Amino acid sequence: MKFSILAETFEKMENTAKRLELTDHLVDLFKSTPPDLLAKVVYLIQGKLRPDFEGVEIGVAEKLVIRAVHRSTAIEVKRIEEAYRKDGDLGHAVSKLIEQKTQTTLFDAVAGDNQTVEWVYDSLVKIAELEGSGKNVLDKKMNYVSSLLNNVSPISAKFIIKILIGTMRLGVADNTILDGLAIAYTDSKSNREKIEAAYNVSSDLGKVAQVAAKEGLKGIEEFKVKVFSPIRPMLADRVKSEQEAIEKMGKRFAAEYKLDGERVQIHLENGRVDLFSRRLENIRSYYPDIVENIPKALKVKNAILEAEAVAINENSGEFLPFQELMHRRRKYNVDKAVLQYPITVNLFDVLYLDGKSCLDLGYEQRRKLLNDIVVEDNFTKVIPQILVTNESEIEDFLENSINAGCEGLMLKVLNAPYRAGARGSNWLKLKREYRNDLGDSLDLVVIGAFFGRGRRTGKYGTLLLATYNDDDDTFPSICKVGTGFTDENLDQFYQILSSKVTLKKNPRIKSDMEADVWFEPELVIEIVASEITLSPIHKTAQDAIRKGSGLALRFPKFTGKIRMEKSPENASTDQEVISLYKGQTKITQNTD
Amino acid sequence: MTLVFSAKTSGSDDLKAIISAISTLVEEATFVANAEGITFRGMDPSHVALIDISWPNSAFEKYECDNDIKFGVRVDEFSKLIKRAEKQDSIEIGISEDNMLLVTIGKNKKYKMRLIESSASDTPLPKIPYDAKIGLTSSAFDKILGDVQVVSDYLTIKATTSKAEFSGKGDSGEVLIDLEKGMEQLTDISVKQESTGTYSLEYLNPVVKAVGTTAGSVTCEYSSAKPLRIEFKVANIGRIHFYLAPRVES
Repeated sequence: MKFSILAETFEKMENTAKRLELTDHLVDLFKSTPPDLLAKVVYLIQGKLRPDFEGVEIGVAEKLVIRAVHRSTAIEVKRIEEAYRKDGDLGHAVSKLIEQKTQTTLFDAVAGDNQTVEWVYDSLVKIAELEGSGKNVLDKKMNYVSSLLNNVSPISAKFIIKILIGTMRLGVADNTILDGLAIAYTDSKSNREKIEAAYNVSSDLGKVAQVAAKEGLKGIEEFKVKVFSPIRPMLADRVKSEQEAIEKMGKRFAAEYKLDGERVQIHLENGRVDLFSRRLENIRSYYPDIVENIPKALKVKNAILEAEAVAINENSGEFLPFQELMHRRRKYNVDKAVLQYPITVNLFDVLYLDGKSCLDLGYEQRRKLLNDIVVEDNFTKVIPQILVTNESEIEDFLENSINAGCEGLMLKVLNAPYRAGARGSNWLKLKREYRNDLGDSLDLVVIGAFFGRGRRTGKYGTLLLATYNDDDDTFPSICKVGTGFTDENLDQFYQILSSKVTLKKNPRIKSDMEADVWFEPELVIEIVASEITLSPIHKTAQDAIRKGSGLALRFPKFTGKIRMEKSPENASTDQEVISLYKGQTKITQNTD
Repeated sequence: MTLVFSAKTSGSDDLKAIISAISTLVEEATFVANAEGITFRGMDPSHVALIDISWPNSAFEKYECDNDIKFGVRVDEFSKLIKRAEKQDSIEIGISEDNMLLVTIGKNKKYKMRLIESSASDTPLPKIPYDAKIGLTSSAFDKILGDVQVVSDYLTIKATTSKAEFSGKGDSGEVLIDLEKGMEQLTDISVKQESTGTYSLEYLNPVVKAVGTTAGSVTCEYSSAKPLRIEFKVANIGRIHFYLAPRVES
């Protein structure tokens, strides 16, 4: 299959903002892709080479691409840089420039735009496999990049460059790909759930796609939990009071401390340990202490466990806030960080044990298994848990958890299975701060920005934020925020966000605002606000409270916390905002 | 079956020049050896330039090769090794039974070097008629490139029946160098049709520097807006051809 066919589909996808059209393009593409090639095509659609958890990064610097473009086109470096600056997207800028190239090649007529998807993919893999930044390595990368750009059409060049430098942003969500697979290979979108289940236990869309294409539903149904391939985590809904929790969960359920740490999925097989974050990145290198200590604390050889890694004060044993843990996220001197920022590992679930999946077992059974296999020591603990039946028991336990330095409680239905990849009310989170209806913090997704003035010139002075709507997988806007930023924050935001700028609004963003720039919805930040009000402008909870209105935050303020560990799909949902809104109305009525 | 392959040069300059020229284009090189001699052909990743080398058995002090063989080396590794030879040292290369490259420098220095899997696909040669042919001493050609590079990143060659013009232009200014028929530096000029071609100095300079004084003279052949072929005349070596795709106005 020629890469140019793929590139042309990418071009179509980039030009549509409608999810249904995106799905149609995907279906057409899947149907014309040889099954053996499908995994690679699916990764490339997402600008990747392998599933996230394998941590394969292409990692080519823009400068190197610019030099390669110069070498193969003879267009001056200065001109390429200038075009890039004006355009904002290197791939797009080069695709426009490439037609003005003056350098020819020795075999123009023969070569043409003949590169195959396999060849492009293999070249990208070779680039990703090159480690280090010595001259030798850079020269080799340069060679591969040059070959990739050799004689390509402008459209192919555009997407090859986007993939190389990591700015491939087609706005295609996992869910859209799952829809596409269901339609293309099972003839019915209704089989999507089965395909999603396969994805939930494998976290590998490419593999799921390839199996769907080659073996159909039968193959899809055979996906099983496997050690070292991460499971998409089960997520919790939010409740704002003990009372609401009881309404949702019934008479008797479990309460666990909700620790302010990093959620870690621990895979263990015969002494070998691998660790995955909530976003399924491989985080093994940040936690050599977990790798070393966890096998000692377990009575079994093979397991997949879930835990919170929490920074502690070594002297007092107290839990420290999440921010402390982020010092661990570094490439160098990890050993030093391990000593400087000690942690404990607090286990709370078991997903796989001794060759068997535990996903279908009820929570209570899983918790019992967990207790049976763990030998607690100074490093490895099991998260404190009790069974509760009424409001005051929850309240007491919540109080204890806050006093212990936790964020609040996780409440869990006793007989509920582990629903991988799903958010639902079998798990609820209750944070103390939500009990006061005003002044709640929300985790919101940065979707756009407005350039600043005065001291903020050249930076993003105001950010446009969104909630996550998990019904239709969109990001509806909820407010603009311009307060709470330090100068440092402003620099940091610019640094993080300028690489997420998209040419057009991602189709998953719902907003009528005219932002100066739009971002790929990726960054989550914490916001407090004084009130939630009806809004004719913002799209969160559109029509839910009143026809033609959404909900917006009044006097929003950034708390200083960038929630790096949260994916946009883990942000506050519009349902949460609706319940907060309803809660605050009640209070207003009560005090009147 | 034991492989018999052994090639011994009398000095080290020619091999140094060849490896150095190859290193300007590729990282990994695959050589082909047969009864007639050793050949190499490689193109840079952008497909802008190509080197074609043929080194006949007669050029070696001693040469043996029973079967056709291919062997791949990392050019930078091979180059480092060859540079350990003094000017007058002979260099003998062979392949060991455990498939390593054996390099004997002088009488007593013996290297074994890891071979790489040869990935060579057959590179064709550009087939083009050449309208113009210019012969130059290699020192004159090297000087011209240096003169032009001061202001330009490309070289334009114009050949008429009576003279050759070398020119370039950049942001800072432009340059024109004339060589009339009969001048000492211009050893030959034969023109079927007046021709003008433009070529990147980024590709030209390194290879001319690499072969440098090892070559006594160079011959440039080209046609308007078509690839350039430079032949480096090195006493002992059959053929070193360097092909370079032109730049054209967009």
